[in-house]
This record gives sequence, C-alpha cells and structure tokens, in this order.
Amino acid sequence: MTECYYISQNELPAVLETVSGLMDVWVPLKTGTHKTAIEFAPFTPGCRPIFDRQSTSSPKSVLFPQSETLFKFRYLKDESDPTRQTVALTDLEEIRPALVFGLRPCDARGFLVFDKVFLDGIAKDPYYAKRREKTVLATLACKTPDSACFCSSVGSGPGDRQNSDLWIIPIDDGFVIEALTEKGREVLPRFGKPAGESQIKQAEKVQKHIDGLTVGKADLTGAGSEFTRRFTDTEFWRDQVSKCLSCGMCTFNCPTCYCFNITDDAHGLEGERLRSWDSCMFNHYTREASGHNPRPEKYERFRNRVGHKFSYFPERYDGMMACCGCGRCIRNCPVSMDIRQIVRSLKENADV
Amino acid sequence: MNDKNKIIKQTFQKVFDDLEVVLGWKQGFDSLHMTPAFIRKASDLDQLVFNPQCVQNLSGYLFSTLKAADPEKQGKIGICVKGCDSRSLTALIQEGLVERDRVYIVGIPCKGVVDVKKLRNLKPSLTEISGITIEADEVVIEADGKTERFPIADVLAHKCLQCRYPNPLIYDALIGEPVTARVAQDAARPAVEQLDALSLEARRNFWLTEMDRCIRCYACRNACPMCVCQDSCIAETRSPKWLSQRSDISEKFLFHMIRTVHLAGRCTECGECMRVCPVDIPVTLLMEKMNCIVKELFDYEAGIDPESKPPLQTYDSSKTGI
Ligand code: SF4
Ligand code: SF4
Ligand code: SF4
Ligand code: SF4
Ligand code: SF4
Repeated sequence: MTECYYISQNELPAVLETVSGLMDVWVPLKTGTHKTAIEFAPFTPGCRPIFDRQSTSSPKSVLFPQSETLFKFRYLKDESDPTRQTVALTDLEEIRPALVFGLRPCDARGFLVFDKVFLDGIAKDPYYAKRREKTVLATLACKTPDSACFCSSVGSGPGDRQNSDLWIIPIDDGFVIEALTEKGREVLPRFGKPAGESQIKQAEKVQKHIDGLTVGKADLTGAGSEFTRRFTDTEFWRDQVSKCLSCGMCTFNCPTCYCFNITDDAHGLEGERLRSWDSCMFNHYTREASGHNPRPEKYERFRNRVGHKFSYFPERYDGMMACCGCGRCIRNCPVSMDIRQIVRSLKENADV
Repeated sequence: MNDKNKIIKQTFQKVFDDLEVVLGWKQGFDSLHMTPAFIRKASDLDQLVFNPQCVQNLSGYLFSTLKAADPEKQGKIGICVKGCDSRSLTALIQEGLVERDRVYIVGIPCKGVVDVKKLRNLKPSLTEISGITIEADEVVIEADGKTERFPIADVLAHKCLQCRYPNPLIYDALIGEPVTARVAQDAARPAVEQLDALSLEARRNFWLTEMDRCIRCYACRNACPMCVCQDSCIAETRSPKWLSQRSDISEKFLFHMIRTVHLAGRCTECGECMRVCPVDIPVTLLMEKMNCIVKELFDYEAGIDPESKPPLQTYDSSKTGI
C-alpha cells in the first residue's frame, strides 16, 4: 500500500467540513422524520454519516440528477417577418467539483456502467462527462453485506477497487485511506496524516478479510443465451412478475439504471428542456407518439429490465453486467421481488 | 409448519377446485421478508404462511387479477386478509371494482405487523430470524439463538399501533380466534393531533420538507389498493400535462395533494403508501387527516360496510352546508 493516510472517526467530521468549503461533499445520511431512509445528501456541520449499512438510494443522483435542465430556450419574434420565430438558447450551468464520501464498491461499479454508456458510447454525453470529470469517488471497502447483496455473483465483490478515486478501509477507531487515481491523490492529504505501520497492517488485514468474502451464492453472469431462449416463454415471465407493482422504486434507487426521458416545459414563449429519470417499470416507458407501446404488459417491461442487465448490456460491453449486485431492488422492493431468483430460474430448466 | 399455517392451507384445499388462484404470503429472500404468493397449484399451498412479517395488503392485486382472469370460467380468487386488508377489500366491493361472489376470503385476526424499516434501523445486520411474536406491549424477536424484546412502538407499523379493526370485517372463513383491538374505535389519533396542533405555517413546512424528498417512484400509488387508475394517473399523463417532470417541490406537492383528494373517503388506512415509500415520507398521515375530515362531515369510514355508498360517490341535494 502506497500513499495511505489515516484519519480517526472523531476527526472525520471536521475534515469533511473543511473539504465542503472547496467542493460539494455528499455523504450517506438518515433523512426524514422517522430516520429510516438513507440517502446521499450534502454534508452539513453536525450531520452523522451512516457507514454501517448500505444507503437506501444509490449515489447516482450526484452524477445523474433525477431531473436536470439541459438548456433554456426562448422564442423571439422575427421583427422583419412576423410569421417567423427564432429561438435563443442559454448555456449550461457551471458544474461544481464534488466528493462522494462513503459510497460502496457496488455503487462505484454502478458508475462504471454509466461510463460505458455516457462516455464510451457512440456519443459522449456532455452533461454526465462534466460532472464525472469533477467528481471524486471515495469508496468504503464493504464489511457489511446483507442477505440481499450479491456483488460477487456479477463479477465484482466487496473489496472491488475498480472505478474509485479513494479507497477507504475501516479499522478499529478510524479509516485508512488510499489514493487510487490522480484525482484521489489531490485530495488525499486533506484526510488526516500519513498512516503508520500498525495502521497499515490493520488495514491490510481487513482488506484481506473482505477480499476473501463471497457475496451472493450463484454465478449470475453469462445468462444471455438462457435469456434469449426464454424470451418468448410468456407463461414463465407472467408467473415470475405477477406480484410486481410496476412502481419505479427498484430502477430509481438502482445504481446502474440510466434510462431517461426528455420533456419540454414551456410557459408562453419561454421554457426549458428537461432530462429526467425514466423507468422501464412504468407503463408509458417507450410508448410511442402514435400511442403504440412496444411493451404494453408488465411482464414485457420486467423482461426488459432483466434482459437489459443480464443479456443486452453484457453482449454490447464485453460481458460486463449492467447490475452491480447491490441488492437495493430486492431489499427495498415493497413486495420483495428478487431479480437473482429470476436470473437463476432462467438458468434452471433452460431447455424449454 | 405451525397450526395457523396448516389451517390456512386446509381451508383453501377444501375449495381449491373453485379457485383460479390463491393470493397469500410465503417466505421471500430471507426469513425476515415475506412476499405475496400467487398459488395456482394445490401442491403449492404448502408455501403459505402467516406471521408478523406478512406486511403486504393483497387486496391491491384483486382488481388486476380479476381483469386478467379467464372470463369464461368465472372462477373465484382466494385471498388472505388481515383486519386492515379486509377494509380495502370491502371498499373495492363498495365501489363496484370487485364482485363479492368472485372472491373467497380467508380472514386472519391480526396482532400487528412489523415495520421492516424500523427493524433495520434498530438492528442493521438482522436478516435471518427464527421467529417474531407480538405481545401486549412488546415484540419478541428470536435470532441467532438469542431472544430480544422491544417496545411495540419501536418495531410495529404505525398503522398497527392505532389499529381499530384487527379482525377481518368480511370473510368466508376465519382463521383462529378474534383478537382485542389495541385501541377503541373512537380513539384519538396522536399523530394527526400533533400535526393539527402546529401553526398553519409550521404544518405547511412539515409537509414541504417531507415531500421534498419524494422521488416520484409512485410506489405509494401503485401499492395502494384504492389507487385504481395507476397507468392512467394524472401524474404521468402527457395531454393534458398536469405535472412537469421537474424534480421540484411544487410538482411533488401537487401530486400528493391530488392523490389525497382522490382518496378522500376512500382510503382504508391500510398503511401501504407509507410502508413502501423508500424515502420515509409519512404518506398515510395525510390520508388519516383527510379521513378525520370525512368522518366529521359525513360520519363515514371507508371499507366498513359493503352495502353503504362512499360519500363522494353520492350526491344528495337536500344536504347543505358542505
Ligand atoms: S420489482 Fe418491486 S420495486 Fe420494482 S417495480 Fe416491481 S414492485 Fe416496484
Ligand atoms: S438491478 Fe438491483 S441489484 Fe442490480 S444494480 Fe440495480 S438495484 Fe442493484
Ligand atoms: S393495522 Fe391492524 S389488522 Fe392491519 S396489520 Fe396492523 S394490527 Fe393487523
Ligand atoms: S392511501 Fe395509503 S393507507 Fe389509504 S388505502 Fe391507499 S395505501 Fe392504504
Ligand atoms: S413512494 Fe415515496 S418517493 Fe415514491 S412517489 Fe410515493 S411518496 Fe414519493
């Protein structure tokens, strides 16, 4: 381990406060009157970040807001020709640098999926790219997987360092933090002081323990051909999804779901173009202007969710799953749908 | 298999040939989470369970399940209901959305269900349990060979702490003995009173702060047995476009206000909207307040009497002053 810093639990709030003067700092916080939901929210002095369990929502909103203005427009009358109008557009907003502190390896992997789509695809998405460039991901090595987690089943794991800028290893009374990228190296010196030998030893032990964990029972990669084979098995799909409520909870809290909708909001001659989250669980998802809906039934939309994550995406991006195994769609689903079980069932009795 | 589970199974077994499907609960991805079961084969009746983790209100599935059922057969749908669930089922019958003779209702007297989110807050690492028992003031949780007791307020769902109808109000078969309600039928509603005691400004701020977190996932709407519009909800129609996609408090507030009004005199306080909200918005509280108003104005409660008409579905010109 090179370039490691140590910071005690007691010192952390003060450091995050200082850093929040330089950039937006996002931490997992309990929100709401009953304090049962955990969301990534801006750090405020006195707040208490929650590190002992996974956040309810993923940190994706930091890089991919639920709703963002792409640009503002204004129609102008053409003075010389009253039958014509011109449009004036205003520039994008300035993006502030940000630090996400305390996301999990699965969350960081979620952004890897976003990167493939928004950065490496046929067109680079300027809105995402700007935020991505200015955001530091400080990921907490994961010591507390639960019964809904399955990161190891999709090619990742609780010790997966891929895609993080800073790597945080929890030790007895604080954290050993390591820089993994140039961006990480720039902010690292703000976090305490260089780690001592015993702290590094402790961190190595924790890392070794975490690396040894297998989170999730079955291997869920390579289900593409089974999915294709099952595609027209209507009875299978209807049976699998009968209890699903078609809400957007699973996709909105999912760190790898990136579908969006584009709508114009105009009042009189002025307005703005919005990009907002969409969900394949919704009935109007991909409904066409003609009214035709290519996926009119719930099972067809759910099949799309499974197919996208476990078949189409890996086919397109070198076998990478569009699911990081964070388990949010299972843990928080109102009716305890289990996407793992569906993918496993695809593989079982594959010959239909 | 415990006694209750066995009786539930036997009850359905007797009538299974007349049923197209049975809606009940079975174990989900771990022993803490139960999940709705759609049973179509008699041999699967073994999966059915009833315990304090059977949180979902299955009445919400009736409308769509009946719609999808084979119209030729006119088979019945078997369904398990707790006290609160039975009110939703009754309300659906009142509104003509479910025909009484198309359902076979197995009613289960209920001592309360857990709020999994509260439990997760109390014991973050709890996933596998061997059992949960609800006593008068305490909830007993057995896990990892240890027994722990918690005050009911820390574990039970908000609705259960003030449950006035723990015994199903409508059923074809009742499982076990009726239980005593936790509170009297005309008991006060502390949560509503607390809010009412605030100044208008403070109350407004309370709801604005709560609703600002809404991510418009519509889980509250979709889990609600009485939100039958669902795919045609005004929240998402494009023409006319009532709500914009902007993630603004004004849009979120409007959605909730419209929903509250649409459920006035219809909400049965099953608590699903609040249970399913991922960002912990006490949605049911709004409905409770609305129900208090409906009770005061019309002396009416939804889902009690299958024969009575909901006040906002009737018009009586002789009534003035409303
Ligand atoms: S899987 Fe669960 S969270 Fe997702 S739409 Fe269905 S009910 Fe909602
Ligand atoms: S599909 Fe579920 S488990 Fe996979 S990344 Fe999304 S929320 Fe996590
Ligand atoms: S509200 Fe009453 S009937 Fe419903 S789950 Fe709670 S205790 Fe049971
Ligand atoms: S509004 Fe909420 S409490 Fe009322 S019936 Fe619907 S889900 Fe149940
Ligand atoms: S469930 Fe909660 S977050 Fe989702 S739409 Fe309803 S109030 Fe908003």
